[in-house]
Amino acid sequence: MSDAPSRVHVSWPGQARRRNTPLRRGDRALRPYLYLLPAVACFVIWVYQPLFEAFMLSFRQWNMLPVSPKHWVGLDNYCNILELPKFWQALSNTWYYLLGLIPLAVGLPLVIALFTQDLPPRLRNLYRGLIFVPMIIPPVVAAAVWRWLLDPGHGIINLGLQKLGSSPVDFPYDPDITLWTITFITGWKLVGFATLILSAADAAIDTSQIEAARLDGASKWEIIRDIRLPLLSPTLMLLILMVVLLGAQWSFAYIHVLTEGGPLGSTTNIYYLLWQFGFGSLSVGWSSASAVTLFVGVGVGVGFGLLAAALFALKSKVTFHDD
Amino acid sequence: MTTDAALRAPLHRWRRRARLLPKGWDNAVGQVLMMIVSLICVFPVYWMIVTSLRPENEIFSSALWSDAVSLDNYAYALGTMPMVRMLVNTFTVSLVVTPVQLLTGILAGYAFARWRFRGAGFLFGAIALTWLVPLQVVMIPNYLLVARMGMIDSLGALILPHVASAFAIMLLAQAMRSFPSEVIEAARMDGATHAHILWQLIVPNLRGTLAPLAILIFITTWNEYFWPLLLTRSPENSVVQIGLQMFITAEGTQWGPLMAASTMASLPILLIYLVLQRQVIASFMKSGLR
Repeated sequence: MSDAPSRVHVSWPGQARRRNTPLRRGDRALRPYLYLLPAVACFVIWVYQPLFEAFMLSFRQWNMLPVSPKHWVGLDNYCNILELPKFWQALSNTWYYLLGLIPLAVGLPLVIALFTQDLPPRLRNLYRGLIFVPMIIPPVVAAAVWRWLLDPGHGIINLGLQKLGSSPVDFPYDPDITLWTITFITGWKLVGFATLILSAADAAIDTSQIEAARLDGASKWEIIRDIRLPLLSPTLMLLILMVVLLGAQWSFAYIHVLTEGGPLGSTTNIYYLLWQFGFGSLSVGWSSASAVTLFVGVGVGVGFGLLAAALFALKSKVTFHDD
Repeated sequence: MTTDAALRAPLHRWRRRARLLPKGWDNAVGQVLMMIVSLICVFPVYWMIVTSLRPENEIFSSALWSDAVSLDNYAYALGTMPMVRMLVNTFTVSLVVTPVQLLTGILAGYAFARWRFRGAGFLFGAIALTWLVPLQVVMIPNYLLVARMGMIDSLGALILPHVASAFAIMLLAQAMRSFPSEVIEAARMDGATHAHILWQLIVPNLRGTLAPLAILIFITTWNEYFWPLLLTRSPENSVVQIGLQMFITAEGTQWGPLMAASTMASLPILLIYLVLQRQVIASFMKSGLR
């Protein structure tokens, strides 16, 4: 420690003097915890304790009325939801949401970020400013506006389609396309944000490598494939992780305002199902059991995802000596 | 730019292959693509405002602009729904949550950045992990807790779970870690207490981090929908996001008033964005780049 640089080796003149009194010492040891107390208390009360409570409630049968008893039913809730076609439908719908969101919230932004890198800064900022607008709009407003735009009778999109000779499309009510409608709206909201993050990562790439590749005669596409994409991959992984973890949750407002999970459960994803179990049919046990199942599933998924990301980062570090 | 010169360099044997397409085609494609995407992104917002300003007999018009501008929809929305009250409620919640979340973030961030203490790594991890817990997973216990406190249908219950956020803490801890420690040591030598260092030295110098963070917290709180949906019962005690839904009924949707209410619900955010666009974008960027 003594030969560590002075920046790391911190020693205050007052330190030795204060350490002498035991009272002072206890005070000092407690201080970090005091600073952390408000935040930690908030998380214990609103996240960790409820997580435990949800786990406990998943073994009970209860309808949320304070007067009615909470029956212990063991693993029955888990057995019941796993036998429910609705549960599996919601899970597969969640999967479709994520599948549809990846190209919209990661693929398209990547293309935009790569295409706009050479635009004059002023123009680029204008475009970025415009495509960012959906991100800041309240989700319910977005849902209401899209409901209006897509209205089968009077929505501007259907009026346009009719002018082009197509029959009106029942965007929010046709079970075959509703899920993609909601996915599109969720993606619409994210494009600007994802583009921004990818552009920032793109701008941070060391230009000397690109310059060198250009001088060696590499085409724009080769530069993208061999330099930009590999260097962007950590950011891409982060975005994909974000979409996988949060994407289906973000669609809640759109589902709730546009379809309420219907028609025939075709737009119900697992997060919406939790809401329906809990506050629609007041089956606390089912909702909690699904929540625990989901949480464990997500936990395992994230564990694998992080592992994959770490391996990926390690690999790219080994392959490209960019630090 | 020097890159242009490099592009035109005769060394370009690869470029010849791409000559099938005229020079600069990728730029043109980029421009067109950006215009289409920008249009898709902005048009719904534009259409919302235009619809909200149409007189009732023109609501279903598909004209991109109508000459007859009417505020009837706004009058109707304000008349049938306590919109002003809801907007004030939303403002109140956002204006309370923002400084409180900053405060808890500053305190916790300082603890992580300045001290090494037992359990620091564990606590940091536990705080970071809260980001992964979906609200839908803990909604029932949270709802029951609010009910036990007798706070259903109150603004206080909308504020309490947002007293601290993992994101603010992580961002501020990171910002404070990179604060030059020489400056802090110098202050300590002069006998400054931790409170002095935090509030008179670090916080004023972290404005570049705090301002975008405050904007982000404000917008996020303003836009929140799920938690108020669980808790509010009466329009007088709810936020504007919930009020919007009341124009969508089983008998049919009142599009004009709905769009007017939507415009009112997003106007404060849009105004912030117009004035502080650079900071807003920076704040969201920070949320993705850690």
